[in-house]
Amino acid sequence: MALSREMSNEQAFELVQTLLDGPENRFPLTFNSDLPRIRELFHAATRNQWDPKTDVAWDQLDPDSYTEEQRSAARLYWSRRAWSEYGAISESPVLQVRFGVEQRPSDMQLFFTIRSQEEARHAEVCHAMAERLGGYIDKPVQNLFQGSVATHGVRRAALNANIPLEGIIAALVCTAEEIAFDVFRHLDDVTRDPVAKQVVRLIMRDESRHCAFGWYFLEAICETLTDEQKGMIEESVVTMMEKVELNGYHSSWLAPESPASLAEVEADRITYEAGLGSTVEEVEKPVFIGTVQRIREQMKSLGINLPMFSHPKLGTI
Amino acid sequence: MQSANIKVSPPPLSLLVERRFPLEMNVTLPEIRELYDSGKAGRWNPHRDIDWNALSADGYDETTRQAARRTWSRLLWIEATGLTETPALIVRFCMESGREIDPKFFLTVRNTEEAWHIECFDRLAQAFGGRIARPADRAYENVFNRGLYRRVLDSNQSLDSYVAVHAAFEDGLELELCRTWRSNATNPAVAAVLDRVIGDKERHAAFGWLYLASRAPHWTDKERQLIASELAVHIQGTELRGYHCPWLAPEHAAVEAEADAITAAAGLGAASRGAEEDTLADYVGNARTRLAEFGVSLQTFETNRMRTF
Repeated sequence: MALSREMSNEQAFELVQTLLDGPENRFPLTFNSDLPRIRELFHAATRNQWDPKTDVAWDQLDPDSYTEEQRSAARLYWSRRAWSEYGAISESPVLQVRFGVEQRPSDMQLFFTIRSQEEARHAEVCHAMAERLGGYIDKPVQNLFQGSVATHGVRRAALNANIPLEGIIAALVCTAEEIAFDVFRHLDDVTRDPVAKQVVRLIMRDESRHCAFGWYFLEAICETLTDEQKGMIEESVVTMMEKVELNGYHSSWLAPESPASLAEVEADRITYEAGLGSTVEEVEKPVFIGTVQRIREQMKSLGINLPMFSHPKLGTI
Repeated sequence: MQSANIKVSPPPLSLLVERRFPLEMNVTLPEIRELYDSGKAGRWNPHRDIDWNALSADGYDETTRQAARRTWSRLLWIEATGLTETPALIVRFCMESGREIDPKFFLTVRNTEEAWHIECFDRLAQAFGGRIARPADRAYENVFNRGLYRRVLDSNQSLDSYVAVHAAFEDGLELELCRTWRSNATNPAVAAVLDRVIGDKERHAAFGWLYLASRAPHWTDKERQLIASELAVHIQGTELRGYHCPWLAPEHAAVEAEADAITAAAGLGAASRGAEEDTLADYVGNARTRLAEFGVSLQTFETNRMRTF
C-alpha cells in the first residue's frame, strides 16, 4: 500500500516479505568482540554520555536578544533538526534488529543500543531549543517540503534481505552521517549564540562516533567483498546521494525549488545571520562538495568507486 | 558479504506504514518522561562502577565456578533478548500513529541499560570459567527463541497487549527475581551488579505499568480479554517452560536448575527453588490485583511443579 497524506483513520499497513520471516535462532550466543574498534566506540559512548536537561547552559540562552523574525526562523530551523534526529530514533533500531537476526558481531548491536539513545538526546535537545525560541513546530510549514525531510527509506531497506547490510551502512553511515557530521563541524564555525554552539558541539561529538562505526565496519569487511558486491554498495550510496542528500534532506537549499523549500531556505538564512545555528548555500556549498569528494576518496581506498554527481546548484561534483 | 541465514517463508509480515507528521514531541506522559530523565541521570558504566576485583572467582571450588558460569550464561541468554526486542518495540511505537514520544525516548535508554547488563553478565560468566553459548539440552533453546522482535512489528499484534505482557508483567517479574537473587547474594561484586541491574529494572517495570495505566481507560472489553489471554499464553508457554526459573521445566532445563541451586548456595547470584517459587507466586498475585484495576482478569495457573498461583 502506498503511503499517502490522505490516509484514512484506519492506519495503512503493507504486507512484505522480510528477513524476519524465519524462526529466531539465537544460539550459539557469543559476545566475543570480533570488531574491537566498534566495541571501543560503545565504551567511549558509555563514558561520554550527556544529558540535554543538565549539561546545556540553558540560562545563557536569551531569546529576547533576538528579533521576532529571528526567533521565528530559528524555531523552525531547530524543529526541522528535531524531525531529522527523530528519524534516526526509528531507523537506527531497525538496523540493530538486523544485526541480531543476521548474527553479526555483537559489538555492532551493543554500539547501536547507545547510538539510538544518542539520537533521542539529539531530538530532545533540538526540541528544547525550538521550545525556548518560541515553540516547537510539529510539521513542515508547507506539506510539499515533507518529501525532503520525512524519511531515508532505511527502515524498509533494513528489513529487506535482498538489500545487503554493507550497502545500507555505506549509504546511511559513511555517506549521510558523514555529510551530517561535516555540516555540524561547519555549524560550529558559524554559530555565535553560546547555547546553540554548545548544542552543536555536543551532537557533533556523538556523530563522530557514528561515522567511525561505518568506516570501521567497511574496513573490516572490504577485503571479503566481490566486485559484484562492491557494485551493490556503490548503487546504495548513489541512491542515498541522489534521492536523499541532493534532495535537501540535510541542506534545504538543495531541495527542488518550490514555495515550500524557498520558505525553508529563507528561514535558514535568517537563523544563520542571527548566529543561531543554521547555514546558507554560499558558505555551506564548499563544505558539502569537500565532503562528497572526501567520501569518494575514502571509499575508493576500499575498492568502492563512486561516480560524479550532478545538481543544478552544485554542478558536477 | 554475509547474507541472512534465514529461510524465508510465508506469511509475510504485516508492517504498519508510518505517518510521521504532525510529529508530537512535547511531553504527554510526564511520569514516563521522568523515567527517561532519571535513566539519563542515573547513567553508569559497567567497567568503572563495579569493583570487579572483589569478585575473586578463583576463591570458589571448581563445582561452584562451573555452576556460576552456567547461571550467568543463562541470565545472559535472557538479557540478550533486549538486543533485538527493544529496538523492534521502539520501531513499533514510531510506526503506529498517535503513539507518544515519551515511550520512544525511554526505550532508547532501556536498551542501553540492557547492553550494560549484558556486559556485566558476560563478564561474570567469563570470570567463572567462560560463557556457555547454549543450553545443555537443545530442546531448551526453543524457550528463548521467542521471535519477539517479529511479533511486536506485526501490525496484527496489539501494541497495548504486547506492552502488558512483556513490558509490564515480564519486566516486573524479572525485577522481583533480581531482588530475590540480590537478597541471597554474598559476593560483593555480584551484589553490586545486581544492585545496578535492579535500579534499571525498577524503571523498566515502572514503564510498562505506567503505560498501561495511561491506556487502560480507553480499552474495550475485547481488548481487555485479549490482554488476559496473551498473558495466560505467556505464563503457560514461557514462564512454566522454564524461561526465568529452570526448575519449572526439568524435562529440558535440569542442568541449568541444578547449577542455579549450587550458585544460590554459594551466594553468587541465584536463589533457592523455594525462594523463587515464593517470588513467582507473590508477583503473579500482585500483578493480578493491578491488572484487575485495569479491568483485566488474569486466570489462576496450575502446574505439578509448584503450588497453584
